[in-house]
Amino acid sequence: MKALILVGGFGTRLRPLTLSFPKPLVDFANKPMILHQIEALKEVGVTEVVLAINYRPEVMINFLKDFEDKLGITITCSQETEPLGTAGPLALARDKLADGSGEPFFVLNSDVISEYPFAELIEFHKRHGGEATIMVTKVDEPSKYGVVVMEEASGRVERFVEKPKTFVGNKINAGIYLLNPSVLDRIELRPTSIEKEVFPQIAADQQLYTMVLPGFWMDVGQPRDYITGLRLYLDSLRKKSAARLATGAHVVGNVLVHESAKIGEGCLIGPDVAIGPGCVVDDGVRLSRCTVMRGVRIKKHACISNSIIGWHSTVGQWARIENMTILGEDVHVCDEVYSNGGVVLPHKEIKSSILKPEIVM
Amino acid sequence: MAGAEQRVVAVIMVGGPTKGTRFRPLSLNVPKPLFPLAGQPMVHHPISACRRIPNLAQIYLIGFYEEREFALYVSSISNELRIPVRYLREDKPHGSAGGLYSFRDYIMEDSPSHIVLLNCDVCSSFPLPDMLEAHKKYGGMGTLLVNKVSAESANQFGELVADPDTNELLHYTEKPETFVSDLINCGVYIFTPNIFSAIEDVLKQKKDRANLRRVSSFEALQSATKALPADFVRLDQDILSPLAGKKELYTYQTLDFWEQIKTPGMSLRCSGLYLSQFRRTSPHLLASGDGKRTATIVGDVYIHPSAKVHPTSKIGPNVSISANARVGAGARLINCIILDDVEIMENAVVIHSIVGWKSSIGKWSRVQGDGDHNAKLGITILGEAVDVEDEVVVVNSIVLPNKTLNVSVQEEIIL
Repeated sequence: MKALILVGGFGTRLRPLTLSFPKPLVDFANKPMILHQIEALKEVGVTEVVLAINYRPEVMINFLKDFEDKLGITITCSQETEPLGTAGPLALARDKLADGSGEPFFVLNSDVISEYPFAELIEFHKRHGGEATIMVTKVDEPSKYGVVVMEEASGRVERFVEKPKTFVGNKINAGIYLLNPSVLDRIELRPTSIEKEVFPQIAADQQLYTMVLPGFWMDVGQPRDYITGLRLYLDSLRKKSAARLATGAHVVGNVLVHESAKIGEGCLIGPDVAIGPGCVVDDGVRLSRCTVMRGVRIKKHACISNSIIGWHSTVGQWARIENMTILGEDVHVCDEVYSNGGVVLPHKEIKSSILKPEIVM
Repeated sequence: MAGAEQRVVAVIMVGGPTKGTRFRPLSLNVPKPLFPLAGQPMVHHPISACRRIPNLAQIYLIGFYEEREFALYVSSISNELRIPVRYLREDKPHGSAGGLYSFRDYIMEDSPSHIVLLNCDVCSSFPLPDMLEAHKKYGGMGTLLVNKVSAESANQFGELVADPDTNELLHYTEKPETFVSDLINCGVYIFTPNIFSAIEDVLKQKKDRANLRRVSSFEALQSATKALPADFVRLDQDILSPLAGKKELYTYQTLDFWEQIKTPGMSLRCSGLYLSQFRRTSPHLLASGDGKRTATIVGDVYIHPSAKVHPTSKIGPNVSISANARVGAGARLINCIILDDVEIMENAVVIHSIVGWKSSIGKWSRVQGDGDHNAKLGITILGEAVDVEDEVVVVNSIVLPNKTLNVSVQEEIIL
């Protein structure tokens, strides 16, 4: 089977992290976001993943070369010279996706983190026999999204309602699809939207079905949702493979620590913390609800909560980092400094406290 | 041999991508030394000043940007000025003296009698030939270009004291907490090749000290967030301070303009300074027009030949418009830098601002700063490919690349 991942543009909402790496290569739970998806696709027998990308493809290709061999999966890029929306990239990659086998192919939105229940999706798709299946997820505030209205028993889509004013349902498109090759005949090579132009057409032909996504779902395209997404991901990991989570007197709740990271004495870590490869956490450090990316050093007695610490940054002794502080790559926070919601661009040294949320260029 | 005695090599320190962070968001797209001031890359101005030195053999740019970032510029400027210009890449920052030292074999290749060293982010008329004459007369190892500034602003620079009669450098201190002098270091130097033995001495001392420290590692443990490596030699603290008052270093004061270009706001001011220098030195580079067949031009304005500027627009003072930019009918531009491929649509107004590559400014929209070059948000800066939609107002803001503004903003940084 084949899969297409819609990578898209600049990931500006996830700046300053995306100033250093394209969004799919930003680490989430100790591994680049896109690897979560590629590994799950590999699990269900996908042999080739096509990345639809319009920004810095060379960085992606170089990075993913290593994983092609490790995972035994072919990864190629389909580069848009102009943004083609969410459906145009399918037409562009048509030759790669329609290989004559007649097998359906996956389409994923790269921002979305979930349990990726692809095996169930394949089974459901084969059972209903329609042209396309989209996964939907329940949300609290459907008026912010496009709502999918379906026949409850079969899951067949009746219509789409964009940002409804009155309640029509609470299921929204989760950005995970399984499509028959015939869907490609419905898409022209031009900037077009799969949600607004292609799916309504398939629904009108009564060929579009929905499956409710089991487990959690989060669009991690911006920092606040990234931190919430990590909590949901770790909750799910607790249920599915608890052995991968850290244990010990210094651990509270769900904590993921890379095997190469070092944690000092007298620390208290958790809940909802990910500590990446090569990190060094000195003695007496407190970490909660935060992501500490590859190569970070946290010095003694520092305290970090609700924040993201970017690659190879350092946090000084007795420093306090909290309230959606985002440190870009290679940022150095000096001893005893306080950051309350500072958003810091890469390669900066923070010598004095940031007392209220502020962007440090 | 008489000719060889006169040979001069120029070295321009250009820094690297992890330095110059204060120049964001413009340095996210282009190395700061290639950012255009008065229509020419920043580094072009010191390079053309070096060109005026008699017997100049070679110009080196030293930095830690990747080679490919400078390849195109270096080859085109070598051809244009008919002087070899080469980019030398440091594997990591070594400090300005350390960087110079690490390429001593290249620099000494032509057996120069004098080495001109300057920082790229300095805006000046660079009176290098006169400074060289003065240096020869002083007979020391080095001569510093110095400038008088207000007592309040002096502490941002290296402050120094010079002998009023002999111009000898008597005392030097980098960014002091208390006032020392209103005479400051301009970051432009002329040295004899003896500078390399002076740097070598410092390196040797540092190594000895590092060995000592290994015996008692307590100090190392207590050191700051990022300790300096042993091969890092700063020109100011490690060379100038200790050699002051030893009849080795002298000063030459500039009476012309001088600024440091650390922020985008200052680059706008410096662009204006270079434009007014063009008025004196190369007036043919400046635009003129009266609104009949070409736009109405006020004051010093540079327009790249490939830019299209509508005759009903009014431009200036201090405006520079780069390649392939389009300025629509009835647009008004004051004190701004418009970069390559920008489109300014009909009736838009841009004041005290820098508009990044490929950006577009909608009809009747207004992009404006209050004009304070030193304030954090005093000049509005749009990064690359920012779209300001029709009738939107952007005031005192900084916008990072690839954003679309469909509502008005004021005093904001848009990530």
